[in-house]
Amino acid sequence: MKYDVVIIGGGMAGLMSSIYMAEQGFKTAVVSKGDPVCSISTGCIDVAGDFTGIPENHPYGRAGEDKIRLSLDYFKKLMEKEGLPYIGEFLQNRFIYTSIASRRATSMVPLSMAEAHEAKKGSIHIISFKGMKDFFPGYFKGEENNQNISIFDAGSKTTIGIATSFDDLTFREKFFNWIGDQTIDADVIAVPAVLGTKNPQAIIDEIEKISGKKIFEIPTLPPSMPGLRLFRTLKRAASQRGVDLFWGNAISDYTEEKGQIQSLIIDQPGRPTIVESRSFILATGSFVSGGLFAEKTSVRETVFDLNVSIPEGEQRLNDSFFDPGHPLGRAGIAVDEKYKPVNSIMKNLFIGGSILENSQIMKYQCGHGMAIVTGLESAKSCEEYLK
Amino acid sequence: MRESYEHCIRCTICVENCPVFKVNPEYPGPKQAGPDAMRFRMEGEKKVDKWINMCTQCRRCEQVCPHDVKPASLILKSQIEYARANGSAPTQVMFSNFHFISHLASFFAPIANLATSMTIVKKMMKIIGLRDDIPFPRFSFKTMQRKKVKPQPGIRKAVFFHGCYLNGNAPDTGRDIVQLMQDMGVEVIIPPQVCCGLPALGNGNEKKAISFAKKNAAVFAEKVNEGYDILYSCTSCGHTLVHSYPELVGEEGKLIADNSWNIYEYMEKLIDENQLKLPEGKMEKTIAYHIPCHLKGTGKPYPVINIFKSIPGVKLHIMDENCCGFSGSYGFKKKNKETTDKLGRIAANALLEVNPDVIISDCGACRMQIENFTDVRICDPADILKESFQ
Repeated sequence: MKYDVVIIGGGMAGLMSSIYMAEQGFKTAVVSKGDPVCSISTGCIDVAGDFTGIPENHPYGRAGEDKIRLSLDYFKKLMEKEGLPYIGEFLQNRFIYTSIASRRATSMVPLSMAEAHEAKKGSIHIISFKGMKDFFPGYFKGEENNQNISIFDAGSKTTIGIATSFDDLTFREKFFNWIGDQTIDADVIAVPAVLGTKNPQAIIDEIEKISGKKIFEIPTLPPSMPGLRLFRTLKRAASQRGVDLFWGNAISDYTEEKGQIQSLIIDQPGRPTIVESRSFILATGSFVSGGLFAEKTSVRETVFDLNVSIPEGEQRLNDSFFDPGHPLGRAGIAVDEKYKPVNSIMKNLFIGGSILENSQIMKYQCGHGMAIVTGLESAKSCEEYLK
Repeated sequence: MRESYEHCIRCTICVENCPVFKVNPEYPGPKQAGPDAMRFRMEGEKKVDKWINMCTQCRRCEQVCPHDVKPASLILKSQIEYARANGSAPTQVMFSNFHFISHLASFFAPIANLATSMTIVKKMMKIIGLRDDIPFPRFSFKTMQRKKVKPQPGIRKAVFFHGCYLNGNAPDTGRDIVQLMQDMGVEVIIPPQVCCGLPALGNGNEKKAISFAKKNAAVFAEKVNEGYDILYSCTSCGHTLVHSYPELVGEEGKLIADNSWNIYEYMEKLIDENQLKLPEGKMEKTIAYHIPCHLKGTGKPYPVINIFKSIPGVKLHIMDENCCGFSGSYGFKKKNKETTDKLGRIAANALLEVNPDVIISDCGACRMQIENFTDVRICDPADILKESFQ
């Protein structure tokens, strides 16, 4: 079978590309060597910490404000349709609480975190679970030590275990009865994000009804339910739109003819799988997800061995690796206005996501936002190419 | 293998996908049971990880790991080590040798079926660690080996690996599958064969698994060299042929792995090559398709989907996020009852959410398990295809 487009990478950028292309009627496939960082993320969409501070040579500079807005709208409509609605506007960051009780700015959040924006530390009632791993309600105590905490025994101590229990109606009933017995004086209730493996809205509505208070979820350390809900929803959306998924094995090689990539070869037990296509979108991410690989003196792109732009000389050797502005964060693939790699003869290859040059997602706090924008924009360029 | 676990960055993606971890608080999950525990498993160390046998070997962790770590394979090695150091439980001995039990029980099918439903036998089964609250699969005298479908000359030649379940417990479905392939123009022969070896592996008996695998490999490799392709329908047998045979048997095993095809993958290939045209089908049904973990583990799009899509009137829902929790012999063991039941209910509820007329699954064990939680008809995809083509 020959595809119209094959997207390499099953993360935020790749899945958005694939959903868009399938909706335009193209025969689409995604090749991913495993689950993406998205599935262990907070599930929030960071668009930019401070948009005015982002330089022209950043992928956002190429896209421009209008296209960013359009892409984020597309994402929001998609999530609404898929039953996991998000709220938040471009250029209007809002706050969430983290599991160490700090406030953090982000752009779009799942509805279950909406109420965190207005909540004041010290006037939140924390509901947590007995022995829960990596979540310490004590952190939320205000300066006047007036924090109220209630602990429910869920019989499990892990986010996954508790969330799975919440999918069960009998367990929910037990929890709701318990909530009814709690005295809650604070304005708002916060709970670690374990209210079910799917959209927790029904559970949230019920708790609000019983307690008469607003409630919000706090994203946890991985395994993180909001990240998993986001990823599974997108993957399901792609699959339902007819996208074929090649999942779990890395690409070992590819064939090329006259500047056109013809097929990918996926190495796996038994026969290798050969995936042929008219066009390809590379969205493999940067270092953590393995799209880029840092050698001692150079940086390699791992699928097509594309030319990687890296800051020159001394800068690269800067040893403060945890500095969000580390020069290596600028490493990536340089593309033209059509998202085609410059310095490459491949005519049917497009690039999207954090593998793009100068993305610096740590510095600009633009991870998921940039993935959505460049995932969709590279797909649109590819669409133009295919027509 | 050592290199593989040192690539682990502790991201917990495997943990997010582990069915046992989500329902059994006793199980530390694939990250801890796999790569994390490896440093305590050095040569000469005492084997202490009792919980290692809580892993069902569904292999979901291996498919989702973005860093090519193989938690399930590491765990399987430790399960084998554990059985070697601590001896096998009676149930482990029994299921390692399921091939022989299956043969014996088929031969005495009426007696065997009667026996497994008798209170006294159930009590005995309970004593050795089996569950007495779920029905034991019924055996058929007319196995696929005893009553073979007559080969019809076709455009391609293939050998069929039926495995224990189709042969001993669902031979009619097995014969339908073979007939379906033959109607489409593929000559199918059924050579003598033994268990694929997976139950032995899963019960800590690598030696037995190798002996089964070697026997099968010898027979099937000869056929491959004569120009036959190997077809399978049971996704767990298939996973074993493709993923485990190269390691269990070596060169001959690699030949088996390279030439084994899921029947629908094979159909799709022949359609692609214009060698085969599907008969026109029709069927007004909502179908919920429970994807077995070992089909998901192939890492490829599910081949039967495109075939169903071409049948007018069919509404197909693909459900691949849940493991049914049965995992062959795992679900028959008393100690796993709670885990198995919880997972089975989750999987069944998800399937029922789409209000299906019928539930399909390629795996006999998955079907047995889901049947325990619903009254909706459940069958093999081939059964439905056969009906739609009539």
